Amino acid sequence: MNVTITFRNRRNRRNPFIPIEAEMITPDAFFNNKEICVGEGNRTVHLNELADVGIEGTASSVDEIEILIRGDASLVKRVGEYMTGGTITIEGSIGMHCGNFMSGGRIEILGSADGWLGREMQGGEILCHGDCGDYCASGYRGGRRGMRGGSVEVIGSVGDFACEHIAGGDVLIHGNTGDFACAEMKGGTVTILGDTSRVCANMSNGTCYVYGCAAEMIPTFEKRGTINHEGLLFHHFRGDVANRGNGDLYTARFTYLQ
Amino acid sequence: MAEILLKNAYVIDPISGINGELMDIALSGSRIVEEASPKAEVIDCHGFLTLPGGIDSHTHYSGTKVNFGRYMSPEDMRAGRTARRGPMHITSGYSVPTTYGNSYRYSALGYTTLVEGAMAPLEARHTHEEFKFTPLQDSFANTLFDGNWGMLRALEDNDIKHAAAIIAWTLSAVKGFAIKLTNPGGTEAWGFGKNVSCINQTIPTFDLTPADIIKGAIRANELLHLPHSVHLHCNNLGTPGNFTCTLGTFGHVPDLNDKRQSLYATHVQFHSYGGSGWGDFCSKSEPVAKMVNLRPQIVIDMGQVMFGRTTTMTADGPMEFNLYRLHHDKWSNHDIELETGSGIIPVNYRKKNLVNSIMWAIGLELALLVENPWQCMLTTDNPNGAPFVKYPEIIALLMSKRYRDAEFATIHQDTEKRVPLPAIDRELDWHEIAVMTRAGQAKALGIIDIGKGYLSPGAEGDIAIYPLRIDDIDPSADYEKVIKGFSQTEYTIKRGRVVSRRGDAIIDGENTTFWVKPKVPAAYDMQHDTAFQELFERYYSVRMSNYPVQEEYLHRNHCIETETDL
Amino acid sequence: MESRDVPCPFCGCLCDDVFVTVENNRIIGVENCCTLGNAKFLSKKRLKHPIMRKNGKWVEVTYEEAIDETARILSDAMRPLLYGWSGTIGEAQVVGVHLAEEIGALIDSTTSVCHNPSILAIQEVGHPGCTLGQVKNRADLVVYWGCNPIEAHPRHMSRYTTYADGYFIDNTASDRTVIVVDIRRSEGAKVADEFVQVKPGGDYLVLSALRAMVRGKSDVVPESVAGVKKVQLQRVADLMMKAKFGAVFFGLGITMSRGKYKNVRNAIELVSELNRRTKFTISAMRGHFNVYGFNEVLTWMAGYPFAVDFSRGIAFYNPGETTVIDLLERREPDACLVVASDPGAHFPKSTIEHMAAIPTVQIDPCVNATTALCQVQIPVAITGIEVAGTAYRMDGVPIRMKKVLETEFPTDQEILERIVIRIREIRADG
Repeated sequence: MNVTITFRNRRNRRNPFIPIEAEMITPDAFFNNKEICVGEGNRTVHLNELADVGIEGTASSVDEIEILIRGDASLVKRVGEYMTGGTITIEGSIGMHCGNFMSGGRIEILGSADGWLGREMQGGEILCHGDCGDYCASGYRGGRRGMRGGSVEVIGSVGDFACEHIAGGDVLIHGNTGDFACAEMKGGTVTILGDTSRVCANMSNGTCYVYGCAAEMIPTFEKRGTINHEGLLFHHFRGDVANRGNGDLYTARFTYLQ
Repeated sequence: MAEILLKNAYVIDPISGINGELMDIALSGSRIVEEASPKAEVIDCHGFLTLPGGIDSHTHYSGTKVNFGRYMSPEDMRAGRTARRGPMHITSGYSVPTTYGNSYRYSALGYTTLVEGAMAPLEARHTHEEFKFTPLQDSFANTLFDGNWGMLRALEDNDIKHAAAIIAWTLSAVKGFAIKLTNPGGTEAWGFGKNVSCINQTIPTFDLTPADIIKGAIRANELLHLPHSVHLHCNNLGTPGNFTCTLGTFGHVPDLNDKRQSLYATHVQFHSYGGSGWGDFCSKSEPVAKMVNLRPQIVIDMGQVMFGRTTTMTADGPMEFNLYRLHHDKWSNHDIELETGSGIIPVNYRKKNLVNSIMWAIGLELALLVENPWQCMLTTDNPNGAPFVKYPEIIALLMSKRYRDAEFATIHQDTEKRVPLPAIDRELDWHEIAVMTRAGQAKALGIIDIGKGYLSPGAEGDIAIYPLRIDDIDPSADYEKVIKGFSQTEYTIKRGRVVSRRGDAIIDGENTTFWVKPKVPAAYDMQHDTAFQELFERYYSVRMSNYPVQEEYLHRNHCIETETDL
Repeated sequence: MESRDVPCPFCGCLCDDVFVTVENNRIIGVENCCTLGNAKFLSKKRLKHPIMRKNGKWVEVTYEEAIDETARILSDAMRPLLYGWSGTIGEAQVVGVHLAEEIGALIDSTTSVCHNPSILAIQEVGHPGCTLGQVKNRADLVVYWGCNPIEAHPRHMSRYTTYADGYFIDNTASDRTVIVVDIRRSEGAKVADEFVQVKPGGDYLVLSALRAMVRGKSDVVPESVAGVKKVQLQRVADLMMKAKFGAVFFGLGITMSRGKYKNVRNAIELVSELNRRTKFTISAMRGHFNVYGFNEVLTWMAGYPFAVDFSRGIAFYNPGETTVIDLLERREPDACLVVASDPGAHFPKSTIEHMAAIPTVQIDPCVNATTALCQVQIPVAITGIEVAGTAYRMDGVPIRMKKVLETEFPTDQEILERIVIRIREIRADG
């Protein structure tokens, strides 16, 4: 089944800046033939009010559902939340919380993603061609386990607190990160091809590679020498000692704030 | 006045001596009456089990510590969210629900009266504010005295009357109900990061032992003729081998009151541990239950642990810190000047964990080994052992050996060698459950006189009607039906009005706060005692005049005045 | 007439020993109070009537008309924001939360722009704290980190720490050690036994280093961390471990500097670590007199201390998404009700522009910077002077504010209740 959701321009709506909460836009909901309603501020409206929805073909499992999102979806939140299979492709940019709690399937974003992409993700894949906001592949407030499985790849750069509380899965960031990437890391593997800042603060476990420069290194990591990884020389750190941590941080370059 | 006639109610009312009779109950205004007029609204109970409204004699649901449990746990808050519906407000939270969450969910289980287990006097105003937003249950507040400098100083001088006078002033000032001691001496020691490990060890700051504090408080309690006895959270909570401390404590309790116990020991499951460490940790429910069986002056509650996530919260600051060191999870602590402490950490009781499995067994053992159900109340020390929504499962476990065995097969396999549970065949009956969930509480709290815990004319119109036809159910085999039946009342009636129907609150409600005011002769009125005033002047951070909880905080309230022997 | 033990409705210290003299229903004398509190008690400026903008001009209107207009604005809105709350009592805040729930609004308080990061940190690691009297009686070591009590909480030191007598403290001048940590040498640094100057943005790193040292892992710490020499860090760590009771107070210097809640989290974790060796507590220096009260009220009613979105019928909380600055920067709200705070005075420009662009109503006794952004302002009685009710001190101790003056002005609570009733009427009329 192919589902095409084309968001209409909202200039003529009363307030085009109100985000749309669209947790029902998942392959699962279409597979179960649910009526798709979304939140627009404190009103609940049918998706048809905001988008043209076209459905072609049938599906015998969730995995046979492909959703294509077109038009301006940059304020559309929670797309793909709890999805278990199938695919969602977003032609442009997507709002916050895309792919939260997803356990299977694939989301591909051709534009950029707002904050909390793949928050508390359990499985499946997310590929974002543009940049990503804060808290990419992270956890919820007060939570101790962020992303637990699956993979996230961001071709661009990400904001602050990327992979906060990450406990499992793989994250690959081609660009730079903001501050505090991999804070409180507990597991999983994160690879940052660009530069980062205060990386792996307070980590207890897991592995992080930084191909660029780790600025403002946390001063409580133990230096363990250098290693060769994929033909490059990396400094190996263990920590965070302040937190009784046993995580591994490999970075090509680093600086301290002195 | 609104009237209700309940027809065909299958009543178990242990205090009135009714054990399974099909009868009608008439309500007029807030009370049960002999007869209703023809104008009464008739509710056909279809022979369903009808009990006095449930009473939880030890639960943490209001006040600084509880609210901090919510405050620090957005992950728990999102776990139990419900939307606004009819007169019901939104709720959040699973193990520490919002005030409305507590109230609606307790009401769905048929509970109409709650006793907040631990109110710090300095922060009492907060507890009373939350009581107001727990609209479907009446509230009582156990008031913490374990580290009260005024009381401890009087006990140090061996002046019980003076100690009683301070208790009387404080209870009246903060609108409290009973004396609560939490790890007596330990919370004072925690002021400098220490604890006490034995009831005969001298505590810091005062030349007293925990045993002195407990004995002194019991005597002061009886001098004041308080409705409830001293309500004690023993020392050494949660430590392997602590059962000797518990037995030692029970051994000190005199029998001073012919209407009720002289000591209520709470969440005794947490105090019935054997072993010298976690390696040989085991159940000592048998000696503890035996001691209770020999001493009618003691009533306990279970403090049952059920598996899953919850939040632990207690005034026992040092104990929570020990738990924090075990779990290395988040930890909050809040010491209260001159009075007590408190701590909070989240826990997850897991079946795969041997210690947790043994804890689960101990609570059940206590309830099954204490022969007289009037001496053992059903609690989880909500939310410490489990959130109160687990009560129906606990009832079913106590009523069915088969259910216990089925559960036992799923827990840590080494549990069998450490606990007596598998050998216990006793199955509690409906009457015993009614005692352990309402009638026993009313007696132990000393609130039968004010109309609580029974269904005869004159009683408060607090009634729970469960969709259970008990003659058709064999609880031993049909434990699923027992769980379902106790999970949601057909009707919960509070003060003569139906407040909850099949799990939904149907009115906004308004509760009553009960508090005590011992009548103290002028010579013992601490209001004018200069040494007591000086305590405030020099060491408290609030002025004495700003300390008492004003009447404005008690929108509906019932003051229980007591005659004293001062 | 004289009133004793009046709690001061200014800062989170909530000093409750103020002596107020009233003559002809005017305050003519204030004793025991700091200059900030004094100014509040003695302030005479206020707005006399509700005002509304009509055709671009301010017009005096009746309370009824102002309330009707407010109710229409709020019931019409798809994403209303109810903001402020820290300068009023719990009894009014409760009505505000019910209002937000009923109309599916966002509700947030000034917490959002001060100790929001402290709460996020507490939600990650908890909070080892205590009441202020515990510090007064026991603390032999006091640490002020990123805060300036002398200016922001003028009586904090004399009531609770440096200059306060305490049960276990024979001589407060010699028995209490004071450490001040800041990015610049502030007034407080002058009274410090040890002043630690950290490079801007370096608090997190310094805290990590101290944690490692308390754990006995000094060897991993480099010779200098964020401008602080290792020898000084070691000296501070030793002072902390040697203390019998240490009390850390922190302020916006760490909550609002780079890293925000991670800084606070690290400070809390340092304190938790220290508790394995001695007694330590940590406390936030809360600003407005009842900012903590709003956190308490919203928590028991909705489960979260601030920044709650009721738009989907349940309580949703996610600072960064549901917090006032973020919402206004994204131009989401289409109506705003400001109660008992003055965002116009200190919010970023872009957010103020949005507030001015949407219908904004303010409930406040005085004309202030926010007035310029409003369509309607409803003057009310002054809480804590003309209205009694509950406030929560920075350490969670609830105190009843007093009424020392009579007034004809309605209270925040009354106005909010009337708005709720009016909204219900409007909705019932369809």
